[in-house]
Amino acid sequence: MNWKRIAGLDTLAEQYSYAQDPVKGYVSASKVADHWVATTCGYCSVGCGMLVGVREGKAVAVRGNPAHPVNLGKLCPKGLSEHHTLQTKDRARNPLLKREGKFETVTWDHALTTMVDKFRAVQEKWGPGALGVVSTGQLVTEEFYTLGKLIQLGFGTRNYDGNTTLCMASAVAGYKRSFGSDGPPGSYADLETADVILLIGANIADNHPILCARLQKNEKATLIVADPRVTKTAMLADIFLPVKPRSDIALINGIAHILIRDGLINSEYIKLHTTGFDELKTFLEKFTPEHTASVTGLPIETIERVAMLYGRAKAAFIGWTMGVNHSTQGAETVNAINNLALLTGQLGRPGASPFSITGQCNAMGSRETSFTTGLPGYRKFESSEDRAEIAALWNVPVSRIPDARGMAYPDIIEGAIAKKIRALWIIATNPVVSFPNYDVLKQAFGNLEFLVVQDGFHPNPTSELADLVLPAAVWGEKEGTYTNSERRVSKVNKIVEPPGAAKSDFDIFLAVAAKLGVRDELFPGWTGPRDAFEEWRKVSSGRLCDYSAMTWESIEAAGGIQWGGERLYKDGQFQTADGRAKLFAIECEPFPEQPNQNFPLILNTGRTVEHWHTRTKTGNVAILNNMSPRAWLEMNPRDAKKLDLKPHDKVSVVSRRSRVDGVELRVTEIVAPGQIFMPFHFAETNVNRATQSAFDPISREPNYKQCSVKVERTSERSV
Amino acid sequence: MSLPLLERAIHGDPITRYTDGAACSANGLVNLRLIPPTPETSSPSLIPDRLPEPGEQYRFHFDMTKCIGCRCCEVACSEQNGTPADQSWRRVGEIEGGVYPFTQRFYLSMGCNHCADAACLNGCPVEAYTKSPETGVVLHSSDACIGCQYCTWNCPYGVPQYNPERGVVAKCDMCHNRLADGDAPACANACPQEAIQIEIVNIADWVADHSAANAPGLPSSHHTVSTTRITLPGELGPELEKANHTRVHPEHPHWPLVFMLTLTQLSVGAFAGLALLRSARPLAAVAALLVAFISLGASTLHLGRPIYAYRALKMWRRSWLSREVLLFGMFAGSATAFAAATMFGLPRLAGIPTMLLGFAGITASAFIYLVPARPSWNNWHTLVDFHLTGLLLGSAFLRALGVDVPAGLIAAFASGQLLNQLLKLLRLMRSDEFELKASARLLSQDLERIFLARFALLVLGGIALTLAGYPIPAFVCALVGELTGRYLFFVSVVPRNMALPWAGGRAA
Repeated sequence: MNWKRIAGLDTLAEQYSYAQDPVKGYVSASKVADHWVATTCGYCSVGCGMLVGVREGKAVAVRGNPAHPVNLGKLCPKGLSEHHTLQTKDRARNPLLKREGKFETVTWDHALTTMVDKFRAVQEKWGPGALGVVSTGQLVTEEFYTLGKLIQLGFGTRNYDGNTTLCMASAVAGYKRSFGSDGPPGSYADLETADVILLIGANIADNHPILCARLQKNEKATLIVADPRVTKTAMLADIFLPVKPRSDIALINGIAHILIRDGLINSEYIKLHTTGFDELKTFLEKFTPEHTASVTGLPIETIERVAMLYGRAKAAFIGWTMGVNHSTQGAETVNAINNLALLTGQLGRPGASPFSITGQCNAMGSRETSFTTGLPGYRKFESSEDRAEIAALWNVPVSRIPDARGMAYPDIIEGAIAKKIRALWIIATNPVVSFPNYDVLKQAFGNLEFLVVQDGFHPNPTSELADLVLPAAVWGEKEGTYTNSERRVSKVNKIVEPPGAAKSDFDIFLAVAAKLGVRDELFPGWTGPRDAFEEWRKVSSGRLCDYSAMTWESIEAAGGIQWGGERLYKDGQFQTADGRAKLFAIECEPFPEQPNQNFPLILNTGRTVEHWHTRTKTGNVAILNNMSPRAWLEMNPRDAKKLDLKPHDKVSVVSRRSRVDGVELRVTEIVAPGQIFMPFHFAETNVNRATQSAFDPISREPNYKQCSVKVERTSERSV
Repeated sequence: MSLPLLERAIHGDPITRYTDGAACSANGLVNLRLIPPTPETSSPSLIPDRLPEPGEQYRFHFDMTKCIGCRCCEVACSEQNGTPADQSWRRVGEIEGGVYPFTQRFYLSMGCNHCADAACLNGCPVEAYTKSPETGVVLHSSDACIGCQYCTWNCPYGVPQYNPERGVVAKCDMCHNRLADGDAPACANACPQEAIQIEIVNIADWVADHSAANAPGLPSSHHTVSTTRITLPGELGPELEKANHTRVHPEHPHWPLVFMLTLTQLSVGAFAGLALLRSARPLAAVAALLVAFISLGASTLHLGRPIYAYRALKMWRRSWLSREVLLFGMFAGSATAFAAATMFGLPRLAGIPTMLLGFAGITASAFIYLVPARPSWNNWHTLVDFHLTGLLLGSAFLRALGVDVPAGLIAAFASGQLLNQLLKLLRLMRSDEFELKASARLLSQDLERIFLARFALLVLGGIALTLAGYPIPAFVCALVGELTGRYLFFVSVVPRNMALPWAGGRAA
């Protein structure tokens, strides 16, 4: 510190001065940019357009793009501070190879030679499927497309999945089962035009705040929010439905029962465009309002009222997120939601859609292209026609196209425990914090012969365990496209150079392909992500997600283009063999781990607006981390009294599997008695030590939202 | 101040959002934006389309029914002003109440309330605060500020933030420079829900009825006549509370002030003794003078900008802090003269002016702390506390130096202090006011040991050792006891503040 400052002569006035920015106006001089780069936000799937201000090669400011149709100039707090993620200290800068427990910097050449040699050795010894790959929803579409080919055709392993299986796999599976294809049928604009909006397990005020702004434009709509917790979103509702955990299926079935009972269904639509109505009708007979009330905990009158509102709506919108997806019945819950839309014909019209609000910025891009749960372009592994078509497009023998999906993410982890998976490549995800039941993951990692972690951030809890760390460029350091929840393809642009020796994931994939000797075959003449995009345009041509008419330039100029237009299924023709959507009879089952005397509380997990996933980014943004510096546990005062716990006590959450210690207690009426809530962002107090290994048999999505635990005061010893 | 808004109003053009260069230069107005390439557009409803007229001012309007607690305004404010992450000029508080599932959760987004009767401004010793005559915005000058932080104690909303990196305070200025350019403040501009707006208010009407500035989770607007208008949700439950009401932390101890207050009081007490007692000695006078100079010197360490300490004299007509500096300055001068005089055998009653200046100084000290924003300070116990510290330590000091002070007198002062502190604790404990109860909780829980030690030292030094005839240990114990007392004074205060987020700040 200088003496002038100590004496008070210097108040760092220059550092704190203001100036006129030609675009932003009067602003802190430190935030004045010399040019602005238009791009798309890299956090969630709302897909906001933003402009990033750059000065002397550094991102110094962000503003919402007023011309972007999604957000019209607004951003959430994470977006408003996103430029800081490009200058954080915990960035991966060099390839690091672990030797005798310590990371050593190596050249890219050495790193990739080692990686390919190790992977090949494992595959030769244990079979091609012994290599597992877990990717993400964070890459650009061009990278997902490239990676899919590299893994499935280059490495020849089917055991490839994304962390999107922890997030929206249930929506994907549900859409596929009901409509024959993935693809959320509606648009955000529906939020502005629907007259009834039902949100199920979706806390958009915390997780997708910009959608609240879209919702606010709709003054006539009745907003109904179903959630076991009084979320910020619940506070926006005209009708809040405080459902018991995992009673959403009963609620939806109960509504459907009333609609059929009172003739509030669209018989014409059902007749023309669906199959399975008679079975469903018979099945739903037992979901009387009385039965529904007993399962959901809602008053009969409320259920009747909500059913009337939905049934009489001119345009009804159902939105959902993780409250539905994070369930052993996630895919089925999506089917039940789709049932409701199909029974009433609330689909394919403005304001009418069963709409999955996705998580990550480009989870949708991975769904379209990634070659994990299907062949690129929503083609099916099982379809010989689809396999032949893609083989022809790629000019490879059809025998090289897999005819079934490989292991899903949780199965890859359990495969490592069973030693079916011997080497693992993790790309841009942090399973040590995000995967349920940490002890299982730890054991799985312990079994691996070689673990490669490719990430923008190091050290992070997962990269620390790697044998090889590949430093990747992150959002803002590379180019491509993202698809948001409403199927809008938006351009992502490079703002600054990646730090140190870090490379874009695209360049890493091509370099790996070259080492593997498949670059010329799979990616002939490719030099940049635009080449991938051009090939993808051809591959997607004629598919539901048809990019053939798009160019990077036209996407940029339009502020994003929705494939399939503003909505899908306008003509009631679905992607099934007979063109009809399927109605499913969905049983409402109790969640797998019910509370008992020893573990009397139901643990629910979720997010807070200040943070993104496992905080590798937002934990490094000072203002966000300062606003929400640590985890907490919400408990109803009645439970706290029983347990003799006081506000701010340090408590432990104990499940049958493990425990989380030292969590600060928030005694609050936000949660119901018998239920507790904890955010999942914090590696330091990782709630996924307590969550369970229970997965949806259809989508393979984990059941994060309910497990049974007890809570006790953390003793001094255990912290 | 040249405002394009004004210019627009003159031309009767309420729609123009950006003044072009030609129009500016034609009117001789300078410093206006000349290049408007796709400028950031503010929704027209966010700011008024005219300037306040005489008798009017700008104010914030916050619509609680629209706010979703996303905290965009906080981030936008930080980006706008380049503030450090831990100093928010705009904060979002949470309020909560009801019983599940009829729980109510609402948010308060607040910058500065640009009060009609701004306590920060009234207390500032250096006139760093001004209230703009054109816009009513309460402005703070970091050039004028000396970093005394008095404003941070005075504001019942906790708005002014001391920035230790700079040594000065800073706060929300309603982005008045953006307003002047026709741009919405950063917070209003960023809010996805358009819950924050700037409006014009007639000041006299508002002073007459400012009930719309009140909301659950906020201190009453009557302290400072906050001008922020708040639209409340229709059916607010009666039991809504600050979500952070259970999170009570000890405040900053302000060590230089702990020493400054205790030692100036000691010195004043000693000079009172020297003026009134027969057996006064020159040595004791010099020692007491030394204590006075050390303590006044120490006080500058409290300032962010010690070199400008002299500026604190400026606002003596208005600020108790200025008056304290002035009176203690005069006391020090008078005490120097008196100490010199004692060496030449001048009559001890010549010390009376010194004594009076000293007591006046202690009174001014106490009045600094009698602020509504800090309820546990804002009572007569503070005044009594400070004077009794002076009398107790002054007399014990003289006795330790061999002056013949009756031990019974010292014990009486100590007993007085003991009684004063016990009565204060009783007042805190029995109060219905949240801040007072919380102070009592701090003293009886978090700070319990220190609180008990302070009493023990008072009894031991002020009474037991004094009566037993150990004047030096008695003085040392009493001094440590009073220093501890002053430390507790600072750390146990629970300021009034707006509701804050449950999760923010330090862990409990």
